[in-house]
Amino acid sequence: MTYVARKFGFFIATLWAVVTLNFLIPRLQPGDPAEIMVKRLAGKDAALDPAQVKAMRAMLGAPDGSLWNQYVTYLGELVHGNFGLSYTYYPYSVTEVIGQAFWWTVVLVVFTQVVSFVVGVVLGAYAAWRRNSRLDSVVTLGSTFLGTLQPFWIGLLLLYVFGYTVGWFPTSGGYEEATPGFNWPFIQEAVSHSFLPALALLIVTPIGWILGMRNTMIMNLGEDYIRLAKAKGLPDRHVALKYAARNALLPSVTGFALALGGVLGGAILVETVFDYPGLGRLMGEAVENKDYPLLQTLMLLTTAGVLVANLAADLLYGVLDPRARRAEG
Amino acid sequence: MTLLDVRDLSVRYEPKASRPLDAVQEVSFAIEPGEFVGLIGESGSGKTTLGTALLRLLQRPGRISGGSITFDGTDITALHEDDLRSLRWRDVSTVFQSSMNSLNPVVRVEAQFRDAIEHHSSLRGEAVTRRVRELFDMVIIDPKFMTAFPHELSGGMRQRVNLALALALDPKFILLDEPTTGLDVVVQHSILENVRRLQSEQGFAVLFISHDIGTVLDLSDRILVMYAGRIVEDQSAGALLREPLHPYTKGLLGSYGDPRAETVKITYVPGRPPDLSLDIVGCSFAPRCPERIDLCLEKTPPLEPLNGGRAACHVAALQRRDGGAERFGEPKRGFVGPQFVKTGDESRSALTNEVVLSVEHVSKVFERRRGFTVTRTEAVSDVSFELRRGEVTALVGQSGSGKSTLAKMITGVESPSQGRIVFHGPQGDKLVSGFKGRALRDYRSDVQMVFQDPYSSINPAKRLGYVLSRPLANYQGLRGEQLRERVLELLERVALTPADRFVNRYGYELSGGQRQRVIIAKALAVQPDIIVADEPISSLDVSIRAEVLELLSDLVKESDVGILYITHDLLSARMLSDEVIVLNGGKVVEHGPTLDVIRDPQDDYTRTLLEAIPNPF
Ligand SMILES: Nc1ncnc2c1ncn2[C@@H]1O[C@H](COP(=O)(O)OP(=O)(O)OP(=O)(O)O)[C@@H](O)[C@H]1O
Ligand code: SF4
Ligand SMILES: [Mg+2]
Repeated sequence: MTYVARKFGFFIATLWAVVTLNFLIPRLQPGDPAEIMVKRLAGKDAALDPAQVKAMRAMLGAPDGSLWNQYVTYLGELVHGNFGLSYTYYPYSVTEVIGQAFWWTVVLVVFTQVVSFVVGVVLGAYAAWRRNSRLDSVVTLGSTFLGTLQPFWIGLLLLYVFGYTVGWFPTSGGYEEATPGFNWPFIQEAVSHSFLPALALLIVTPIGWILGMRNTMIMNLGEDYIRLAKAKGLPDRHVALKYAARNALLPSVTGFALALGGVLGGAILVETVFDYPGLGRLMGEAVENKDYPLLQTLMLLTTAGVLVANLAADLLYGVLDPRARRAEG
Repeated sequence: MTLLDVRDLSVRYEPKASRPLDAVQEVSFAIEPGEFVGLIGESGSGKTTLGTALLRLLQRPGRISGGSITFDGTDITALHEDDLRSLRWRDVSTVFQSSMNSLNPVVRVEAQFRDAIEHHSSLRGEAVTRRVRELFDMVIIDPKFMTAFPHELSGGMRQRVNLALALALDPKFILLDEPTTGLDVVVQHSILENVRRLQSEQGFAVLFISHDIGTVLDLSDRILVMYAGRIVEDQSAGALLREPLHPYTKGLLGSYGDPRAETVKITYVPGRPPDLSLDIVGCSFAPRCPERIDLCLEKTPPLEPLNGGRAACHVAALQRRDGGAERFGEPKRGFVGPQFVKTGDESRSALTNEVVLSVEHVSKVFERRRGFTVTRTEAVSDVSFELRRGEVTALVGQSGSGKSTLAKMITGVESPSQGRIVFHGPQGDKLVSGFKGRALRDYRSDVQMVFQDPYSSINPAKRLGYVLSRPLANYQGLRGEQLRERVLELLERVALTPADRFVNRYGYELSGGQRQRVIIAKALAVQPDIIVADEPISSLDVSIRAEVLELLSDLVKESDVGILYITHDLLSARMLSDEVIVLNGGKVVEHGPTLDVIRDPQDDYTRTLLEAIPNPF
């Protein structure tokens, strides 16, 4: 259990460090942190836009009181989810804006990532087990080819074919008339709007898992414990699943948790292509409109996401690989 | 009925990147039910390949290219995997050569017994657990380790677990491929005794692969000797010992002696085995054989019945024909090649030379911090001794006894926690304690090391000339013609002659013994005062060990270098050293002139070590 405790401790410490740096960096220079921040982000010579400074100040808190007092206030705001006001969507708060986009991305991305992972790992394992078979060649060559394509490029292609030419799917947005909420018309609309972006991601994301899993599995197939499992006369399926795949899965699982953390980056382009109302698009907008409070918060969120994913990966690894638990524990 | 019948079996590897190679060539032999057969041969002779073929576990690029394997009346040479499966483990099981990794690392030990047992028998649930517990008892492991993961077991325990696993379904035949290589001698000894006892109780047949003829002789009823992919001799253990037929067998036997004897002679087989990817005309042992005649270079000797056994040697067959002894001489029992002799007088020469390094009451404590708990281990405790110029001190002890820690302190890599080590160099005394950077580099010109594994310590892709000129240029600033001369001199010194031919050879072209010579030459290049040799022969084939021992021995005689020879092998300690220190649990348990210690050991551990030396003579 010390393993779990240590990983948790590490997680808390890093998260605290990230949050604190976020607080400290704008204050390290003399002057009004909000102004400095805006200047830094907008470029030295740009004129200060008072609205921007105001929004930033709402996020950073006014520079009064001792540094310690400011810090305490800042942490308090964070804990209560107050990240200031969005500049683009003024007068909505950043929290509200992100809150709306959050679930769109989470559902789209988590769904596609999980499906990609499962499909990728299974195909990769199978290709490795039946190495040099026709299926293996098709999978490997296909992956290598598709792997050279970019998801946004595939997105554009899908949009052109199924959106504009054939017209089977809507070309932008997340829903049309239905009221967002848990009701049937909305779900229908949301699904049909999400279909193409999901497909664009589903064509590309499994490839990494396929090739990675195939490689580790092929390496593992040379291990002595696999030879011994064969010598034991166990059925092929048993050897493939319980011995080879079980061990080959370990690096992929860590990779998966990490990929989930860094998912926002990959989603941006696809969401932008389909004008999908998620965090990726929001990030794009924030950059374009110099909406620093929003941008800052998204960054903080992404970092936190990566940290959470790291923690999840570590914990999962501890469960899956008994050696990890002891090696450092 | 014969249990295993192998006829003209050949195995070929066809790697993509290099020439095909026939690792096993027309091998024929049979094993009866309950028979314990040993298979010996040097590294690369094809033992594992043969064993893997018998199990039908060859993987690409290897395949059976000829002959047949019949097990219990069924021809399994080309049997489909589905039909093989019912034979596997229930009738035929195995312990692999590198079985350290043959347990699934992420699954508890018991589950790895369970899948095999449940797949092949009707036992389920609690009955399986009971069976596993029974098996653990057989191999003398506490059943509480059933729920452990493989990494929680020590090497020796893992090996016992593998053995238990092999016994799980009462097989008729078990292939043991060097089941104890890499383990401590004392552990090896006890595991092999366990094997022998279980075999006589349960009556399964065994093919026991090893490169160590002593253990094989101890355990086996019959012995197969393999050389360059072929069986060259097949005799009962007793007959083989009394009258070895093939010169290679004689060479193997000659590499052992009784360390207690007044005069010990051990022989070695110079040279190296042939490249199996090239066509060999005549006998493959001919280039290394002292009994060779012209016929040997023309015709491959067939494996023929001889003296109640079988042998593949022209001379052995001719000598035993009617009137053969007159034409070809009496059969010889020993290997008539080079030998290394150590007499009792040499061993008794007094320890009088000048002291070059003194170890004074040295202790080393390691602290390991884990969270808030600190564990302290005393790896070496209160050890004192001296190294002298022109003499060899052997440091003997089992793994974990602190040998390597002591070596690290003497070579200046670690510093003692207590006590001190003083080097009495030409520039006066120097306190040795955990040097770093430049100081360590300087100290390297005083103290050099030779390690266990000659295969990884020189770059195989570089020419020897380059390998040797590096330290000469770095430490002595030699250049040009001078450098070249010195390189040749070094090669001569370690008997790699003619030196001008060896300078241009690559590391990979050399035999293990030759590589170890290069490493010794490299150590000598800086003209050190002390050489620390950590198990320099243990990774070498027995047939060539004496070659390296002799070289080290000559070096000491000729120069005033002092050697610390670290080993767990008392025979080699006898051959090389003037003085022996036995270390156990970090403490010196025995210390004295070599012959005294070996003839009259005081400590239990020393006695176990002596017993562990195979002594078939
Ligand atoms: N997968 C492989 N591909 C190509 N050549 C191989 C392969 N495995 C073994 N060989 C070659 O076959 C020959 C016999 O090897 P093998 O492992 O059977 O020897 P061994 O007698 O078991 O040696 P050791 O005592 O070192 O275990 C060697 O020359 C080796 O290089
Ligand atoms: S056949 Fe000739 S070369 Fe080969 S082992 Fe016999 S004597 Fe030596
Ligand atoms: Mg082998």
